[in-house]
Amino acid sequence: MADTAFPIAGAVPGGRLAALFRHLGRRLVPWLVPLAILVVWEVAARVGWLSSRVLPEPLAVVKAGVALAASGELLQHVRVSAGRAFTGFAIGGGLGLLLGLLTGSFRKVEIALDTTLQMIRNIPPLALIPLVILWFGIDETAKLFLIALGVFFSVYINTFHGIRSVDPALIEMGRSYGLKGWSLYREIILPGALSSILVGVRYGLGFMWVILIVAETISAQAGIGYMTMNAREFLQTDVVLLGIVLYALLGKLADVAARQLERRWLKWNAAYTAA
Amino acid sequence: MNIDNIELDQVRQARSEIQGLDIDVYGLIKRFGDRQVLHGLDLAIAPGEFVAIVGRSGCGKSTLLRLLAGLDGESAGEIRLDGRPAAAHKEDVRMMFQDARLLPWRTVIQNIAIGLTGSRQEVRERALEVLARVGLADRADEWPARLSGGQRQRVALARALIHKPRLLLLDEPLGALDALTRIEMQRLIESIWKQQQFTALLVTHDVSEAVALGDRIVLVEEGRITLDESVALVRPREHGEPAFARLESRVLKRLMTIEAVTSRNQIRGRVADIVLDDVLSEVRIETPAGVVTSTVLTRSLSEQPLEIGAEVLATFKSNEVVLAAA
Repeated sequence: MADTAFPIAGAVPGGRLAALFRHLGRRLVPWLVPLAILVVWEVAARVGWLSSRVLPEPLAVVKAGVALAASGELLQHVRVSAGRAFTGFAIGGGLGLLLGLLTGSFRKVEIALDTTLQMIRNIPPLALIPLVILWFGIDETAKLFLIALGVFFSVYINTFHGIRSVDPALIEMGRSYGLKGWSLYREIILPGALSSILVGVRYGLGFMWVILIVAETISAQAGIGYMTMNAREFLQTDVVLLGIVLYALLGKLADVAARQLERRWLKWNAAYTAA
Repeated sequence: MNIDNIELDQVRQARSEIQGLDIDVYGLIKRFGDRQVLHGLDLAIAPGEFVAIVGRSGCGKSTLLRLLAGLDGESAGEIRLDGRPAAAHKEDVRMMFQDARLLPWRTVIQNIAIGLTGSRQEVRERALEVLARVGLADRADEWPARLSGGQRQRVALARALIHKPRLLLLDEPLGALDALTRIEMQRLIESIWKQQQFTALLVTHDVSEAVALGDRIVLVEEGRITLDESVALVRPREHGEPAFARLESRVLKRLMTIEAVTSRNQIRGRVADIVLDDVLSEVRIETPAGVVTSTVLTRSLSEQPLEIGAEVLATFKSNEVVLAAA
């Protein structure tokens, strides 16, 4: 808005510098509040207003991270947790995609399966924990099952909806140009459903971390959850906090990856390239 | 090398000499549930002919096109393309829709190549060739979202042409374009039609478009053909020419007359007698309900070929009877 109000700004010496500052300002402003919180927190911890049993100083968290990273323990835990999360995601998301494609494409499959799936969807996966423990015990299978179940529905529903909302005019056009079966699917139906499927994937990723965290606190021999539960026993609040930060970082990373996919696969859509 | 090129050109030449499809439609009826859209429509179109269909919305003209394209099935009656059912000619028939229906996730050139088989290189070359013919060679790798409405329809036209159709169905493809772009597109369609000699069937709201492009203008009203008139104007036709304007206003008037009344105050009949006079003539029509007399300007008698024995549609207005060929 300012640019249109002062159209000659660029012609004034130093106008470019001003623009640079404006740009930097726009980048930096969103970080001011979090930074201020960190500073206040650090100061409060050092002065002694905050007991380290309630919240350790931010610097201590960083130190704990460095120490664990140096021993190789951190990487090990992250690897186990991420492996768990993505294996569960692959199973649940894969099944959700497959069934969503089937029920979305074939009316008969929808009639046969959709009601059942919608009923199961209404059960919160975490409510199944006692049953899952009875079925699979407390080892890996139970965790994978819960994650897969959580991810399944968000991918399933969005895939189903995506297939159903492909513009019928385009399908008709494809048919009249001789596309049918797989070629119609590949050229029109899948790309048409893709943006909706990717929304499902992003929701699924978010859900994946939530369930992972709960599942890892049930019981685990490795992983970020194990690390934090262990630290809790020994009152190492800094490590507990480190675990929380790690979960946040991994979640953010997965989301960024999903956004990259959107940008790559939906580059024809102005809504995704402009962002 | 030279010889190869000449040969290649000859092959291309031979390929582009497409014979248009011959269309015969008998007693075509189409129902959607309880609603009947086409009421026993008959239509014959010669190979290579350009027929423009006009009529108000909902009259069944688009339905006719969809049946010819094999997108819907007829409820009764028969469609014969070169003497065979429409389904046998799916490869020979291509349709342009009112909206371009380009795939937004495919580039311009990929959109044109849809449904084509062959090596990637060959397909691309062919696609570039037709794209050049519609004047968009430099936009080959753009997304459709970046094109204007007129450019999108050009791409849709190229997509239809690459299949070398023997029948091109145009379902109001220019309806959404501005006046200038529309005339440009009409010229383009006309020149390509002349060159490739396919049969063309254009559905339009725009009477001047029908006059500009049609060898014949067919008026469809309530699922029937109520006017079928040859256009004898020389191509390319200029919108401003007097003969063009006369024909346009005649068809328009005819369209308006029909739109102004409902079938309740119309009666079909046959011209029994014409009493000529200098200015006003009387036309007597035998109808199932008795003889009706319509007073017609002698001058306009020559415009509408009214002769004894001709089938007409008599429309009763508050103070006169209007005649139209039936």
